[in-house]
Amino acid sequence: MESGSRDDFVIAIRSAFLKKGNQQRFSLLGLIFFSLIFLILGSFNFKVIDYIKIGIKEIAYRSSLIVSVPENLIKNSFFKVDDHFNHYKDYQKIKYELNFLKSKDLSKTISNLENIKLKKLIDDYFITDNEIFAKVLIDKQSPFLKSVILNKGSRDNIKLGMAVLDGIHLVGKVVEVNYLTSRVLLLSDINAKIPVSLEPGDIQAIMSGTGKNNGILQYTKEPDSGKNNEDILVFTSGAGGLFKSGIPIGIIKKEKNLTSKEKIVDFGIDFSQLKYVKILSFSKVDSYTFEPAKEEIKAINKQLAEMKMAKETVKILLEEKNIFKETRKKIEEENSLLKKKIINLQNKISISDKTIKKYDEQINNAKFFELNSLYGKRCKKTFYNNLYKVGTKEYRDCILNKGLKN
Amino acid sequence: MTRMTNYNIKQYLLSYTPVILLFISVLNEFDFNYLGIKYFSFNFSYILIFYYSVKKSESLGYGLIFIAGLFNDVVLGMPLGISSLMYLLICGFAAYLRNITLRPSLTKDWIFFLITISVVNSFLYSILTVIFLFKVDYFYYVTNTMFTFFIYFIFSYIFSFFGNKIIGKINA
Repeated sequence: MESGSRDDFVIAIRSAFLKKGNQQRFSLLGLIFFSLIFLILGSFNFKVIDYIKIGIKEIAYRSSLIVSVPENLIKNSFFKVDDHFNHYKDYQKIKYELNFLKSKDLSKTISNLENIKLKKLIDDYFITDNEIFAKVLIDKQSPFLKSVILNKGSRDNIKLGMAVLDGIHLVGKVVEVNYLTSRVLLLSDINAKIPVSLEPGDIQAIMSGTGKNNGILQYTKEPDSGKNNEDILVFTSGAGGLFKSGIPIGIIKKEKNLTSKEKIVDFGIDFSQLKYVKILSFSKVDSYTFEPAKEEIKAINKQLAEMKMAKETVKILLEEKNIFKETRKKIEEENSLLKKKIINLQNKISISDKTIKKYDEQINNAKFFELNSLYGKRCKKTFYNNLYKVGTKEYRDCILNKGLKN
Repeated sequence: MTRMTNYNIKQYLLSYTPVILLFISVLNEFDFNYLGIKYFSFNFSYILIFYYSVKKSESLGYGLIFIAGLFNDVVLGMPLGISSLMYLLICGFAAYLRNITLRPSLTKDWIFFLITISVVNSFLYSILTVIFLFKVDYFYYVTNTMFTFFIYFIFSYIFSFFGNKIIGKINA
């Protein structure tokens, strides 16, 4: 039995691989051998195989281009549809982002415009026209005069009143000019008086030296206006036109600000460590009054005003919206309260109505009984008359009419 | 006379449809990759060759299958002759099935198709990795085999419909 099934298997295999089928020109086994020969020769880089390969490539690539046309058409259509769906999603996303950015953009534009305006005001008003570097020759820390001697004098165009800086911080001003040297009065000197500006708050003040390594605010426009819970930065205010505004001087620390009534300014640099300084002079340039600049600032001001107005409008609208919302809520609450009241009143009215009806009935009854005793004979049916039976509606009406009326 | 000529041309073209489809599939490689479904791919040539070798062996000549295999190798950049070998092996399996089948049934064909493509793909994988030292994604071959197996069922209905309703109508 087993050998029989094996024979069947062998016959089927032989028939499948060796026998040429109907209308088959080649034997399957022959072609398989042919493929194997191709494979083996190809692995050895046989030249004939390479030539065949090149030949097939020439035909296949060209044919592939033509054959791919319908599929490419389907593929492109698919991508187009897909793109359309994605575009809608993108559109929704972009719309949301745009709204979000628009709301942010208004505040940013206002800040930018303010910034541009302030920059223009500061930079165009003063320009640095002379900048000289000098070495500190003598640094005698006399208790009476806090000053240093520099190695540059009138030969190098040093003039009285020029500002002296160490890095970005103000050191003092030139108070004495010689041919080769000059003297700088430090900010810590008791005679140094500098108009300053306090930030935050933009408060104007005069700072004086203390003779030690710090300064003191002598006069503030608003004595208690500085916020006590944060550090206050001190800058030159530019008032008087000696220095450009915005040069950093020092800081009023919040600890000192809280404990003492006097506002002590700690300088940004240590004056005992000065080695090289920068001497600057600022000249006032009236570029601010130039027509183009004026026009530009005017335009910025206008834009700013519009922006602020728009912002205000938005704020007002939002507030109005909130108010309307609250009012609506209140009205709704009142409405529901009134509804309840109406229902209560209706109930009361219906109860009253019932009571009134009852009273009316009682009154009618009393009246009936009263009249019955008087006019009962005139309405009562007897043997010899044809009137009404006692207890009927007609009898009652007759009694109430005080007898039968003809 | 004209009617007769038209009829002959139509019949001639329809009888060559499997061959045309085979050559289109090897030259075009339509695998619906652009649908973006991960790992989705199937071997249409295997389905076509197996179906027509089992059902209508006269529609697809072994010689043409051999040439289609060569084209496939060139398009895919595989060693020349390997696809021909695989296609012919499928033809062999199909011929064996045809010889042993007394009562044809789609389910039996379907199961036998799974065995065939599993053997053929294993053989292909082995030759490519062991002899030609190709780096082949094994997982890709497994998923390809599975999808080809599942889709055979649908295509067998389509081919059957095509054979009975269209070609049958013309011949009638």
